[in-house]
Amino acid sequence: MTTTARKTHAIDISALSRGEKAIQDKPETCIKVEDLNLFYGSKQALHSVSMEMPRKKVTAYIGPSGCGKSTLLRCINRMNDLVDGVRIDGKILLDGDDIYDKGVNVAALRRRVGMVFQKPNPFPKTIYENVAYGLRIQGINDRHILGEIVEKSLRGAALWDEAKDRLNDNALGLSGGQQQRLVIARAIAIEPEVILLDEPASALDPISTLKIEELIDELKEKYTIVIVTHNMQQAARVSDYTAFMYMGELIEFGETSELFTNPVKKQTEDYITGRYG
Amino acid sequence: MSDTQNSQAGSGSTLLQLSSSDRHQRWRLIKDKLAGYLVVIGGLSIIVAIVLIFFYLLYVVFPLVLPARIEPAARYDLPGGVADKTLFLAMEEQNEVAARVTDAGRTVFFQVADGQLIEQLDLALSGQVTITSFAHGGFDKGVIAFGLSDGRAIVLRHDYKLSYPGGKRVITPSVQYPLGKEPLVVDTQGRALTRIALKVGDSSSSVLAKTADNRLVLASLTKKESLFDDEVSWEHTDATLDMLAEDIEFMLLDKELRNLYLLGRKGELTVFDVTNKSQPVIKHRLNVLPHGKQVTSAEFLNGDVSLLIGDSGGELSQWIIVRDAQNKYSVQRLRAFDVSDAAIMTINPEQRRKGLLVVDAKGTVGIYNTTAERELINQPVIATAPVAAALSPRANAFLLQDASGAIHRWGIENEHPEISWKSLWSKVWYENYSEPAYIWQSSAASSDFEPKMSLTPLVFGTIKASFYAMLIAIPLALFGAIYTGYFMTPRVREYVKPGIEIMGALPTVILGFLAGLWLAPFVETHLTAIFALFLVVPLGVMLFAYLWYQAPETWRHRIPDGWDAILAVPVIVVSAWLAFAIAPTIESLFFAGDLRTWMRDELGIGYDQRNTLVVGLALGFAVIPMIFSIAEDAIFSVPKHLTTGSLALGATPWQTLIKVVILTASPGIFSAVMIGFGRAVGETMIVLMATGNTPVMDFSIFQGLRTLAANIAVEMPESEFNSTHYRVLFLAALVLFLFTFVVNSLAEVVRQNLRQKYSSL
Repeated sequence: MTTTARKTHAIDISALSRGEKAIQDKPETCIKVEDLNLFYGSKQALHSVSMEMPRKKVTAYIGPSGCGKSTLLRCINRMNDLVDGVRIDGKILLDGDDIYDKGVNVAALRRRVGMVFQKPNPFPKTIYENVAYGLRIQGINDRHILGEIVEKSLRGAALWDEAKDRLNDNALGLSGGQQQRLVIARAIAIEPEVILLDEPASALDPISTLKIEELIDELKEKYTIVIVTHNMQQAARVSDYTAFMYMGELIEFGETSELFTNPVKKQTEDYITGRYG
Repeated sequence: MSDTQNSQAGSGSTLLQLSSSDRHQRWRLIKDKLAGYLVVIGGLSIIVAIVLIFFYLLYVVFPLVLPARIEPAARYDLPGGVADKTLFLAMEEQNEVAARVTDAGRTVFFQVADGQLIEQLDLALSGQVTITSFAHGGFDKGVIAFGLSDGRAIVLRHDYKLSYPGGKRVITPSVQYPLGKEPLVVDTQGRALTRIALKVGDSSSSVLAKTADNRLVLASLTKKESLFDDEVSWEHTDATLDMLAEDIEFMLLDKELRNLYLLGRKGELTVFDVTNKSQPVIKHRLNVLPHGKQVTSAEFLNGDVSLLIGDSGGELSQWIIVRDAQNKYSVQRLRAFDVSDAAIMTINPEQRRKGLLVVDAKGTVGIYNTTAERELINQPVIATAPVAAALSPRANAFLLQDASGAIHRWGIENEHPEISWKSLWSKVWYENYSEPAYIWQSSAASSDFEPKMSLTPLVFGTIKASFYAMLIAIPLALFGAIYTGYFMTPRVREYVKPGIEIMGALPTVILGFLAGLWLAPFVETHLTAIFALFLVVPLGVMLFAYLWYQAPETWRHRIPDGWDAILAVPVIVVSAWLAFAIAPTIESLFFAGDLRTWMRDELGIGYDQRNTLVVGLALGFAVIPMIFSIAEDAIFSVPKHLTTGSLALGATPWQTLIKVVILTASPGIFSAVMIGFGRAVGETMIVLMATGNTPVMDFSIFQGLRTLAANIAVEMPESEFNSTHYRVLFLAALVLFLFTFVVNSLAEVVRQNLRQKYSSL
């Protein structure tokens, strides 16, 4: 994707999201993974993974530690590029475009595919500046626009009521759960298409976890969500589709209700019934 | 808070109970406690050491600000009787023997301690000849002269011989005749000499006299040594000054026998140039007093450069001859002291310092220092007008004869009169300077030298050197740190970081040596190339970066991420070579073949070989490792989850660097810069060897400088223990200490604030 393509894309998103409402119910593919292999040096971490993640649904990746679910998630916004010695074969299509194509602007891709990490990572700035960060780096500095988007994003992340009186306080003063919602607000402030959540609640207490889960439920109204989780109950509660991965391979992928009640593969059944993991 | 303490204490006691059976557990606790105490002791002893250093510096410096004191020591009747009038009082070096010269031509030597008479010597005058005038020829020489009624003058010198019979010091006074026992013919017409002035030197002497018929005659003697035997003869030159002498009241001849000062009672000052003894010419004339005041005393300050004039209004003023840019001489008033409202009767200059003692008509004694413009003593001592006063050669005692004929002996405690806030920090108008200036020049070979102890040029030099060093070090070290800490692949970083840190282990004496002996001449001969370097290398690197970015992808992919710095090495080498290669062409095209000559002729910028550019390069090189290392640590330790968080929001690596990495690392970067600055300020060896140590206040990068630290290193070995110079050097150390202390404390406060603001998880 060249720079000109990136510019026109902003229009594409809004056009798509408006057009989307007409075609309801029929799950349309947003992200398509085609025969993806990933190597850390000589060690293969993902083995020919192929899957299609539907638009405006929540897709959960489950599996034991080290199975490659986080690696796969990080492929979707090319965060793996930052790791030394990573080699990737295969394709990931976002709205039909291969994100690993030569000439893809990685920064522009990441603007479309937001990400929230396991550990809350607010910047050492004020709450306001944290949310405004993604806009400021795009050169939006109009205080009026920023203020509007910050409020909208904080409301979207269910943090507005708690944070509205302390927008100019350091974000590091928030609790862990609040920080994680702030990070989500920061991600949605730039209106991405897809939000990747890498074990977003694993560092939080149960109440904060509940809030995050409720938030995910609200967010899928507008965004395609991919979530990595260790917690199978969480996957069952929040996701529409679930992928079970094991040893770098995608074992099973299907609607969550199907996968949890009636798994096709023996390995999946063993995992969800707690025989290993 | 107390709750948690209680619970800690509680859990501690249960721990103890549990481990009471276990000796190992107890031993572990003891070790823990011991280690704790050791750390506390270590930390406290550092603080104590620093406080001790501070107080020791303060202890050495403190006497500089102590006020002077005088106290009465003795009072006795006038030795030799009150029949004759005292013309002159003097003391010898040891403050044991004093001389009193009377208007009868008698010299009375007496004990300073109790006034006991030692010897009286009378002038052998023949027939009708009487004494008509008297003058001293400098306080330090012991020479006096009597003008006689027959136009002749007799010159004597008081001499004090030290001997140690039986291990005890005995001082034997005597009178010598330096120009021969026979009176010297001053006025060839033989008229009485009503005023007289003289200076006696080793090879030439002059006597000036005002005659009874108001002529001014100058008689000079020049020593002629025969080539073949030891015989000495005197060549006699006579001259008459072209001036009416009627009003002349005071006449002073300087010891170089160059300038003659004639002063009338109303303040009409005429300065003659008497370099040519047979043809004196007028140099300058002016009136030194406002209308209504009268001159009541006049003397030279030590060194015979400044004229001190005391007037009837109690003001003492200092005057010097100033030569302006057009080589014209004029007499200028340097400063004045308001002593009292009574006439100043006597002025006694100190013999080794630029100080003086005055006594006014009411018996008030004032002690002043001209350089420091400091009034040290202003105190009534006697109730009457003084007849004569003598200040001891070491300026630690004075004698004063009052109108009733008693001699008062007082002791003086006045160790450091040269130092005042003004003399340390402000512009001071020194002797032989045409205007007030900031000068550091602490010592010279002669004893009548005026020490110039302004710390301002040294502080200026310190700041200038560190400024230029930081100008070179900050960009290189910080950009290097940013690249190494944020972009460079760990495998290259593993070599680069220790490599640069080893640079910091180079002894600064080697750096200074190289800077002084190799870099300074190199920069001098390749000045254009050095400046071209500053332009060509960054441009070359940027050009290469642009070309590299435009290069085909297959090329670029051959270099793994983070290794691109290696590519810059040949680029820098080639562009540096290019800078040197094009320098001669640039020089001949724009600077008429030689940049230094061009700067001097076209811009008026002088060039010193040991200059600030050289120091900036060498000192910058010395502080780069420190700044680089601390800043790199700060940048490298910015949590990865912050950079990935920023990148995941679609920020470019550059935006992430500016908006997240540098921000989060800012406390570390700030302290790196401040610690580097502190190091540059205190650095000694490099500035000592590469600056030329010229304490000039010049902003030009091509001029040398002298820093506080280098100054201490240069001058401490040759300063006399506990002298003013010694204490001022300690004051310089104290200033340096406070400077770095304040800079570091401020830096720490700012750093703590930044850390609170930008600290990360």
